Amino acid sequence: MTIREKGYAHWDGQLRERRFPWTPITSLGIRLAYKKKYFRFISFGSLVPAVVFLVGIYISERIEDFQYMLRGNKQPLEVNPAYFKTYLCSDFLLFMMVMILVVSGAGLISDDLKHNSLQLYFARPLRKKDYLLGKANVIVFFLLLLTLIPGLLFIIFKLLFAGNFQFLASYPWLPLSVIGYSLFVTAFFCAYTLLFSSLSKNRRYVSILIFTVYLFSDILFGFFYENYKNPAFALISLKANLQQVGSWFFRLKPAYAVPWHWSLLILLAFGIAAALVLVKKVRGVEVVK
Amino acid sequence: MIAEISDLHFSYGHIKALDGISLSLAEGAIGLLGPNGAGKSTLLRILLGFLVPQRGRGRVLGFDIRLEQPRIRRHVGYMPEDDCLIPGMDAVTFTAHFGELSGMPRQEAMKRAHDVLFYVGLGESRYRLLETYSAGMKQRLKLAQAIVHDPRLLFLDEPTSNLDPHGRKEILELIQDISSKKDIQVLISSHILSDIESVCSEVVILNKGRLAAHGKLSELRELSYRLYEIRIKGEGEGFVSRIRALGCRVEETEDKFLRVYVPAEMDIREIFRAAEEEKCQVRHFVRSQTSLEDLFARAVGVD
Repeated sequence: MTIREKGYAHWDGQLRERRFPWTPITSLGIRLAYKKKYFRFISFGSLVPAVVFLVGIYISERIEDFQYMLRGNKQPLEVNPAYFKTYLCSDFLLFMMVMILVVSGAGLISDDLKHNSLQLYFARPLRKKDYLLGKANVIVFFLLLLTLIPGLLFIIFKLLFAGNFQFLASYPWLPLSVIGYSLFVTAFFCAYTLLFSSLSKNRRYVSILIFTVYLFSDILFGFFYENYKNPAFALISLKANLQQVGSWFFRLKPAYAVPWHWSLLILLAFGIAAALVLVKKVRGVEVVK
Repeated sequence: MIAEISDLHFSYGHIKALDGISLSLAEGAIGLLGPNGAGKSTLLRILLGFLVPQRGRGRVLGFDIRLEQPRIRRHVGYMPEDDCLIPGMDAVTFTAHFGELSGMPRQEAMKRAHDVLFYVGLGESRYRLLETYSAGMKQRLKLAQAIVHDPRLLFLDEPTSNLDPHGRKEILELIQDISSKKDIQVLISSHILSDIESVCSEVVILNKGRLAAHGKLSELRELSYRLYEIRIKGEGEGFVSRIRALGCRVEETEDKFLRVYVPAEMDIREIFRAAEEEKCQVRHFVRSQTSLEDLFARAVGVD
């Protein structure tokens, strides 16, 4: 069809002011992520631990029915805050979260930088915070699917399988811990991913950065810890810091003999630095001085 | 009135990009001209609210450029100079996405995206991935996303750059159609003078951050100067020096004609007197139509 064969017509609707102007950005980010085959595979794989832990909760309530499987193991399967912490702070879950960030988060800002689309966003009635919130909420959506949703489902299923509220009476603060830790880890990974995504126009470099920094900080910690036996080296590992803070959320003793608030401070400092960089890097026009 | 600005100043560090610009832009298609670094893009960015002026005031469509930027952007369409896209998307989703961001309901934005893509000539390829688009198609796509929310004012930054002559002609036709028949005001920033000349009725010429000329194209041609083509017989050098001394700008063409820009207030008979005194015969004396190129050259002080 050639130009103007169909003609231009004015739109007779009314442009409205959205309460949350970032929603189209988030919904587009989620849709684009699910278009990728790798992402579907990884997101499916990352749900496996949730299923396993859910089965664990069922078994804990029907322990007599599964005695033959325990083969003389006298240690009962107990669902308590440590069970939740084990799920939410497990190496595997954190690793899968990083993989999700690599596939779905790396290009969030870097693609816009590479293809000059920031100016299109900011030519709309959007503020910088709306843009950043829209991008961050893509990550929030995927990470809360792995943390908050399973965590709350575990509590609900525990109550359903038990048929009473004994569990909640014993740990009334547990839902808040699940919510608090899920939001904390999600907020940290948002800052972590968006920071790297805003540093380069090349999505591959960003993916490598996201993956390497997480892994390398842990390898470095392992190396120093094995050689010097000093638990303070846990502070250089992102994973160990998240697990230390997780222990506090679930009122458990931290795995390493380092105050949990040091880890919290390090992660918060990282988040603040990321926010400062993002505010500086994300703008509608390249201002050349 | 689509925009009014007064005493606008903007600097990038110590480099002055805009130096006391005051303008009132009437409705219609307006061309924004100027050499590189004249401040065209800065002016567009300030009008859109990307940059905040260090001094001065302004209103676009009645909204304050400092305080009501979101409202301005809701009613303005912007087609940037650079290629812009979101990888992994087709044109319909892309265009609808920006319609939604402008405040359109999702369903409406989707429907409208189809309409504008047909309008700009991308109807058949609207489901193709944007990465596979040619330069001309990307240019049309940028126009589509700029008009998807039916703006009252359209800012076009170099709309015909990277296009072949055929593509250029088609984009200009679209712009002309939008500005003349669709009641959408258009502000075009371009280096290509003939594009501005073919589409715009009014021009703003910027030079070194200052306003060099502004007005209706027809009026500017009339008021600033008159252009004559003259051929003389005899010693030309003295004649040329004499009329230059009278305030005329003289260019010699390859075929021995003189193009003489005569100031508006100057009596034309002065030229003949000068010829007589220099003992030259005026063999050819024809009033010529001034082109925008002439106007531009005079405004910014280049040949």
